[in-house]
Amino acid sequence: MSETYNLVDATMKVIQDRRSIRDFTDEPVSDQDLDMLLEAARQAPSGENAQPWRFIIVKDEAMRKKMGAIAGGGSGRRFTAEFVTKKMQERFATLQDEAKRQAAFQKLTSGQVSTFMADAPINLVVCGKKDVWDTPYDTSAAIENILLMVTALGLGACWVIAPCIDIRDEERIKALLDIPEGYKAVSILSIGHPTRPHKPRPRLPINELVFTEKWGDPYYEKEEA
Amino acid sequence: MSDKTVTIDYANGLIYELQKAFWDERGKGARFRTTKVGHQYFEEKVRPLLSSTEVTDILEKIHGVLKSEGIVAEVSYSQEERLLKVGVQGCIHRAVEEKMLAKEVEPFTCIPANLIVLAIEEKLDIPVELAEIKVVDGSCQLLLVMFEKRPVLE
Repeated sequence: MSETYNLVDATMKVIQDRRSIRDFTDEPVSDQDLDMLLEAARQAPSGENAQPWRFIIVKDEAMRKKMGAIAGGGSGRRFTAEFVTKKMQERFATLQDEAKRQAAFQKLTSGQVSTFMADAPINLVVCGKKDVWDTPYDTSAAIENILLMVTALGLGACWVIAPCIDIRDEERIKALLDIPEGYKAVSILSIGHPTRPHKPRPRLPINELVFTEKWGDPYYEKEEA
Repeated sequence: MSDKTVTIDYANGLIYELQKAFWDERGKGARFRTTKVGHQYFEEKVRPLLSSTEVTDILEKIHGVLKSEGIVAEVSYSQEERLLKVGVQGCIHRAVEEKMLAKEVEPFTCIPANLIVLAIEEKLDIPVELAEIKVVDGSCQLLLVMFEKRPVLE
């Protein structure tokens, strides 16, 4: 049964319902849905209207596995470095359940946290033209537009930067996909049909985020305990 | 072509400002964008000398190059399983790290560390990650992680 919302409520619902989805069914993403995602991206704001975004749709399984391996390798290196310097343990200090802590460490240091992208029906590679002023911001706006449309369509997606954050891995991705020197590989969006609903992740209270007139003076009153 | 050289203070000042600009732009992500800084130097000075696939031999070669070129006074190292601990004494770029620390930014780029990473990755074909740069008593203590194998691109 379809639900009916006014435009404001529908917009906020889509924003609030967005999740980072890492488990996908085998069901392919339809061409019509893909068209909607790409049109949403195309309508994003960009500095000087440069529209520096370019997109590569990767469905080929062998290619997805290669990208997943690069992503997992990068995540594994970075999280292992965080683990051996004890910073990861500090980050998870409030997690009391030891079994859950160990599972989290294992998932992160092994790189499994990022290899899931090999199993997504589509990996949408977002590239950004370098010879413009605002590529990181422009492409991020396009990515968020895609993620919101993903949600509106009942699909699931995860914004994965793991294969692009370290220049060594980004070079591997660029070589794999023949991305020219004038463009950078910004991020990859893994897209498909989610296997299950996901709970929202916690958000910081808004009274901690917003100041009035200058930094430090809260705009909102502190929430009652 | 002029044979004039610049002072190390001038060079370090520029390196610091570039690194700080990178930090201001990318925060903690900056370290992952500078993992290949020193690559050209590696290609010209280090790579031609590498023949052995033993980590200790690789480190000795890098030590020799850095010392003979006057970039560091000494490099010491020890290996505990996959962890490689490297001490760098008398590095001409130490002032960069100190300037970063003065701004409460943990140092995130080290040329000797990058040369070690590039050399081990080249000769052993395994991933290596620089985990930490600590400045202790005027020397740098580097912690690197060596991984068993590269992820397989099936």
